[in-house]
Amino acid sequence: MTVFKTYFKIVKKYKGMILLYTILLILFSGINLSTNDNNTNFTKEKPNILIINKDENIGITKNLIHYLKKNTNTKEIENKEQKIKDALFYRDINYIIYIKENYRKDILDGKNPKIDIKTTKDYNATLASQILTRYIKVQNIYVKNMQNEQEIIKNINKSLEKQAKIEITSKINTTQIEKMNLYFNFASYSLMAIIIFIICFILTSFKNKNIHKRITISSMNYKKHNRIIRKASLLYVFIVWILFSLLGLILLKDTLLSIRGIIYMVNALVFAFCSLTIAIMISSLTNNKEAVSGIVNVVSLGQAFLCGAFVPTQWLPKNVLTLAHILPTYWYIQTNELLKKLEIINLKEIKPILLNMLILILFSILFIIINNQISKRKQKIE
Amino acid sequence: MENIIEVKNLTKEYKNKLALDNLSFEVKKGEILGLLGPNGSGKSTTINCLLSLLSFKQGNIKILGKEMEPNAYDLKKEIGVVFQEIAVLEELTVYENIDYFCGLYIKEKEKRKQYIEEALDLVGLIEYKKFYPKQLSGGLKRRLNIACGIAHKPKIIFLDEPTVAVDPQSRNNILEGIKKLRKEGATIIYTTHYMEEAEILCDRIIILDKGKILAEGNKDSLKKLADIEEKITVEIKEIKKENLEKIKTFKTVEEVNINKNILTITYKKGKNNLEELMKFLKQNNITYDKVFSERPTLNDVFLNLTGKDLRD
Amino acid sequence: MFSHNFKYTLKILLKNKILLFWTFAFPILLGTFFHMAFSNIENSEKLKIIKIAIINNENYQKEELFKNTFTHLSDKKNKDRLFSVTYTNIEKAKKLLEEKKITGYLIFEKENIKIKVNENGINETILKNIVDEINCNQDIIKTLLNKNIHYQKIQNIITQNEVKLNNITSKNLSYTMIEYYTLIAMTCLYGGILSMFITNYKLANTSSVGKRTSISPIHKLKMLLASLLASYIVQIIGIAILFMYTIFVLKVNYSSPIPYIILLALLGSLAGLSLGISIATLIKKDENTKTGILISITMLGCFLSGMMGITMKYIIDKNIPILNKINPANMITDGFYSLYYYDTLNRYVLNIVSLLLFSICMILLSYKGLRRQKYDSI
Repeated sequence: MTVFKTYFKIVKKYKGMILLYTILLILFSGINLSTNDNNTNFTKEKPNILIINKDENIGITKNLIHYLKKNTNTKEIENKEQKIKDALFYRDINYIIYIKENYRKDILDGKNPKIDIKTTKDYNATLASQILTRYIKVQNIYVKNMQNEQEIIKNINKSLEKQAKIEITSKINTTQIEKMNLYFNFASYSLMAIIIFIICFILTSFKNKNIHKRITISSMNYKKHNRIIRKASLLYVFIVWILFSLLGLILLKDTLLSIRGIIYMVNALVFAFCSLTIAIMISSLTNNKEAVSGIVNVVSLGQAFLCGAFVPTQWLPKNVLTLAHILPTYWYIQTNELLKKLEIINLKEIKPILLNMLILILFSILFIIINNQISKRKQKIE
Repeated sequence: MENIIEVKNLTKEYKNKLALDNLSFEVKKGEILGLLGPNGSGKSTTINCLLSLLSFKQGNIKILGKEMEPNAYDLKKEIGVVFQEIAVLEELTVYENIDYFCGLYIKEKEKRKQYIEEALDLVGLIEYKKFYPKQLSGGLKRRLNIACGIAHKPKIIFLDEPTVAVDPQSRNNILEGIKKLRKEGATIIYTTHYMEEAEILCDRIIILDKGKILAEGNKDSLKKLADIEEKITVEIKEIKKENLEKIKTFKTVEEVNINKNILTITYKKGKNNLEELMKFLKQNNITYDKVFSERPTLNDVFLNLTGKDLRD
Repeated sequence: MFSHNFKYTLKILLKNKILLFWTFAFPILLGTFFHMAFSNIENSEKLKIIKIAIINNENYQKEELFKNTFTHLSDKKNKDRLFSVTYTNIEKAKKLLEEKKITGYLIFEKENIKIKVNENGINETILKNIVDEINCNQDIIKTLLNKNIHYQKIQNIITQNEVKLNNITSKNLSYTMIEYYTLIAMTCLYGGILSMFITNYKLANTSSVGKRTSISPIHKLKMLLASLLASYIVQIIGIAILFMYTIFVLKVNYSSPIPYIILLALLGSLAGLSLGISIATLIKKDENTKTGILISITMLGCFLSGMMGITMKYIIDKNIPILNKINPANMITDGFYSLYYYDTLNRYVLNIVSLLLFSICMILLSYKGLRRQKYDSI
């Protein structure tokens, strides 16, 4: 029992570390969960635009703004240069449309005035550009062929009204699952950091104490001692996993309590176990605590960046993803991505997921073997 | 003789716990003064107060006739300290460590070079010049620790338990070095809880316990404070009760104890005791294996003064 | 005496592998990770060819305008090509959609056009927009025909329609730059590990070497100044190496005036230095714990300024601005950002001033501890 107690006493000593990574996870997922709340139907992919209108809001100008508001998410941003610039830079808005003074008059005079725009040049900006261009094209045509402003507006709206019917075959609630996916992807970083950090620190502490212990307390068998440490480590990993699952439950609520959610959790558990084996392997490499914190940072941050914990995997370059195959986190995140897209969950569909988990377990076994080899070699040297 | 250090009524509290209780003593020029006491008796605290590292509640410390304070740089120049903990830089070699610390005192490069060589020689680390501290054994590290403290040839040297956890060879080397330093004219304040060291090394000893001075003097005068003069231990196979009673009647015997087959006799006075006892044993055909005769130690003094062992 | 301390501090710092790892190697490693992870992001956000299917039934054959438009938009020779179209029957289209080989398919019914897609997405939306646009053109043609305008003339009106959009976006809009800015911010703050280490060695209450230096006949602050200068220089070397690495190896284009960048890096390092000093003096824990605290503060600061998700910085800036106003990592990141993206220097200057204030505050906070010569306990 003493070994067990000492183990968790050391865990307690590093509670600040655990807290830090948990806070990072809460902040990351908390903020992501709360910001994308309006994405519930097909309008999800409406681009976010900003209209800065210097013209009078009547007639043709009013109709343009009305049309844009209907077809895009028109953001209200305080009309401060700085806020607008920031919003564009961070893609809070994808497109800015500046309507000049006398726009309406110029149009009715048949001048085809220039419209200033700012664009982020991404998908959403292209969409916004398409929407704006379409309107202006229609407007140009009718302005050339009609005189009366009301008639022009009427015809513009009529032509633009014709819309195709769109049917979405997928029945899954993608937004909620998307959020769950975000949570579990980022969790890979927090989980791994918390597990490797603490376990490495504890194992190195015990290694230093062991020398004394073997001399002073001969009543405790060395093997038994190690067995207890292994059990305590497993318990610790399990506790961390429970903590993260509970946290997920608080943040994601009942989305997590589905078969899909449970598979997400199981995947996290397998990953947590794999992290444990990495921790054990690292601690066999070095006894220096400062070196440990360096290695842990490189291992956890590196995997997180290269495997898609922070950045969606579809954005990662292909060669990086190929390279990432040798990293456990890659397989964990692949499972999450597969789960996200899964329409129906049955044995056939989750086969690749099970395969990924198996790979994680194989990784764990590999790490344990490496650890054993290193320890054996070290013992011989001693 | 001239007083190098004068301490008057030094009192130090740690969070309302009295650490030094009205300490007054002085250190004379050229002597080795031993501060002897168990762990926690206030030896290191005394030194840290003398060095102006610790603030204290009341008292007055004069070194070389001047008030000691953190900015008394002219005084600090004359002082060398060997701390209990090893205070060396892991990133520097043996030579560089000494050079760095010595350089805080001695500006002239040539002079410093010579001083470093002498310090290396004194502690016997010449062959280890280019080693890093982590490559040195515990004892060698201690020696380096000493060299760093004394390389600048200070007039006053504080040595705070420099031999803790040191192998016998390094220990002898260290003790020899200290004697050499005194010969070269340094005044030394030496703290230890090894009474043997204090006995061998020190001209004068102050016995400390719980922040108080219990006794002060040279080893002979201190030993008079023990109320015994000699202790004889005999391993015997068998002894009759009547013989024990007879021994008790010897003139100088204070007490006779027998525990299994160990007979301990303590004497009030210390002359011809052993001879008398041997004679008696022979006459009465008492066979014995081993006989030890011990003069009282500082431990006995301490025991007598406090009722506890020094090493507890 | 100054040079003696300076020289030895340099030697000590340059021989400590752990310190060098955090200030030199780790940023370079992390920068490499960034480069690998982000090199593609902005490219992959540009449009790709969208795969769709069209049910090739009688109704479709009647829709001349649609036929022409889709042929045009899927023409391999067209540089504005948007689609790759498979003409097929409904069963095959369904299967393709199920297997996610196409974004969606179109069915032309008598009066209606239906688009079937799997999910909500950008490609789906683009598809819908195009269909809508063709629909719209059809309506225009109808309307104008009713006005007795000749079909050929209508065609001309539609094709010769010019939309004058004037793009006034500034050139520097690459938001992955934020990643590299946070990396520099991290390196500046990690540099605090050097000053922390040095300060520990100079204070009697934090290390035994500190006791030894405290009893030497040298003014403590003078000695500290010499050593901190050395640590600052090592820090600057670290930053310089990182800059060179990002510029020459990772090909990051900072596209800002160099003197401003240097000033920001110097002040950023100063903030790191002062952070290190204050952790060393104010926190009464062992060195490992202090290192842990410094790393944690830095990581949290970088996280809030966008290291692990660029939008984090924007969200904090927008909703809890105070948090990032006092976050030194963000002051550095934001300083670089405003240099890169803003035309005026106001925001940059604000960050520079913030960094200075932060450093002064940290040093003032630790000043008492630094000056202290006598301790209650050591």
